[in-house]
Amino acid sequence: MTDSRAVVLWGEVAAHAVSHGRRASVADVCAVACRSAQLDGSWLAAANNGEPGFLMSATDLVGEQLAELQLTLGDGPGHDVLTSAAPVLAADLDDEEFSRRWPAFTPAARRLGAGAIFVFPLIVGAIRAGVLGLYRASAGPLQDGQLGDLLILADAATVMLLDSGHRHAKNGDGDGAGLDGQARDLALHRIEIDQATGMLTVQLGVSAAAAFARLRAYAYTQDRRLADVAADIVARRLRLHRDPGQDGGP
Amino acid sequence: MDTDLLSDTFVDLADTMVADFDVIDFLHVLTDRSVRLLAASAAGVLLADPRGELRVAASSSGQAGLLELFQLQNDQGPCLDCFRTGQPVTAADLTAAAQRWPRFAEAATRSGFRTVQALPMRLRDQVIGALNLFRAEPGPFDLAELRIGQALADVATIGLLHQQSVRRRETLAEQLQAALNSRVAIEQAKGKLAERLSIDMDQAFSMLRAHARSSNQRLTDVARTFVDSASADFPPPPRC
Repeated sequence: MTDSRAVVLWGEVAAHAVSHGRRASVADVCAVACRSAQLDGSWLAAANNGEPGFLMSATDLVGEQLAELQLTLGDGPGHDVLTSAAPVLAADLDDEEFSRRWPAFTPAARRLGAGAIFVFPLIVGAIRAGVLGLYRASAGPLQDGQLGDLLILADAATVMLLDSGHRHAKNGDGDGAGLDGQARDLALHRIEIDQATGMLTVQLGVSAAAAFARLRAYAYTQDRRLADVAADIVARRLRLHRDPGQDGGP
Repeated sequence: MDTDLLSDTFVDLADTMVADFDVIDFLHVLTDRSVRLLAASAAGVLLADPRGELRVAASSSGQAGLLELFQLQNDQGPCLDCFRTGQPVTAADLTAAAQRWPRFAEAATRSGFRTVQALPMRLRDQVIGALNLFRAEPGPFDLAELRIGQALADVATIGLLHQQSVRRRETLAEQLQAALNSRVAIEQAKGKLAERLSIDMDQAFSMLRAHARSSNQRLTDVARTFVDSASADFPPPPRC
């Protein structure tokens, strides 16, 4: 198996940003996700108190309305994915399962013109960053490869949200800091990265989200691979400190 | 073959699959039992993520060398071959497999393993992952062992699809992502606890699991609550 798909998709996000004369952001991920999976629109909301409470971006009016509808109702696939950590792949909103699951949301979403909805949790283990939602006017499943692409793009959006939330913490220069150098590592889910994140919550006395952002910032500023830095932390060859000047050593 | 151990294992696994059970916890029990039942040195369950990766869902030990062996199989190794072909893959002597999987054979030998077996986890026409078995001694698993190993791989598949009617074809993909995310939360919790108490990852896992059992909670919920807690005390103090 290769990591080339992740590199291609991250490249498309970066290129989309450049063509709009800006640094890569979640808006670019939304746009590339729609194009890549041939969907009609998307939205991205940051999590707030366990709800998809803060709309960050939407590619069109319907996407924006779908996101706001869920906020108004306090219910819908965006709430479900933050609770279950599983995506919702509602390929046909007319399937009775979905009107049972969201009795208010589903008919309203149909009236807005959505036939299929795909919502992804932007979650890293216990860290809940937000949700990425997409819709298509017509019903129908995702084609081969599209699900994988959307999962990779959801990972990209997760990292952007977490980095931007902790930008002032230290070093991380925010949007897309890891876009080039760390794309390969981000595509790999290494157990050491998760364990190191947990260890850093104690070493630094911070939340898991902040620990994850700091781990990435450290690897980035040291120009090292994230997986290698994580392995050093897990093997207790490296400690990070509240004062980054003291980072290093066991 | 120890038939008592065999029946105990399947009774235990069936007992674990009660309503709202924790998939990752279940797969851990399954890897532990695979080791004992099949006289293996180590076992792991790898799942195929639609992102194009084989990801470790559970392993009988958290030993770094073993994890590396699982993770290396994204590039080469018996699990990758097993996943691609849907067939069992055997290497009865890894020292003779250097041409087939140079990096994997070298790393496995360095970790003290000589025999490796991968068994497919199949759902209808789809391969969703593999059960990976290692032995320190050379020589193949015998036919009876392979049949039991395949039965365990099949049970792992059923566990992954727990309690869901698989009416929609999307259900499996949804469940798989939930399971992989559980695994991440559990690893984060292991890291936090290991650092807090200066213990190793396997000890941290045992403590998390023991607390989940004694407090009648899902392992994933225990892990999430602990990682979320502002305190590093374990078990985490109740929220005010």
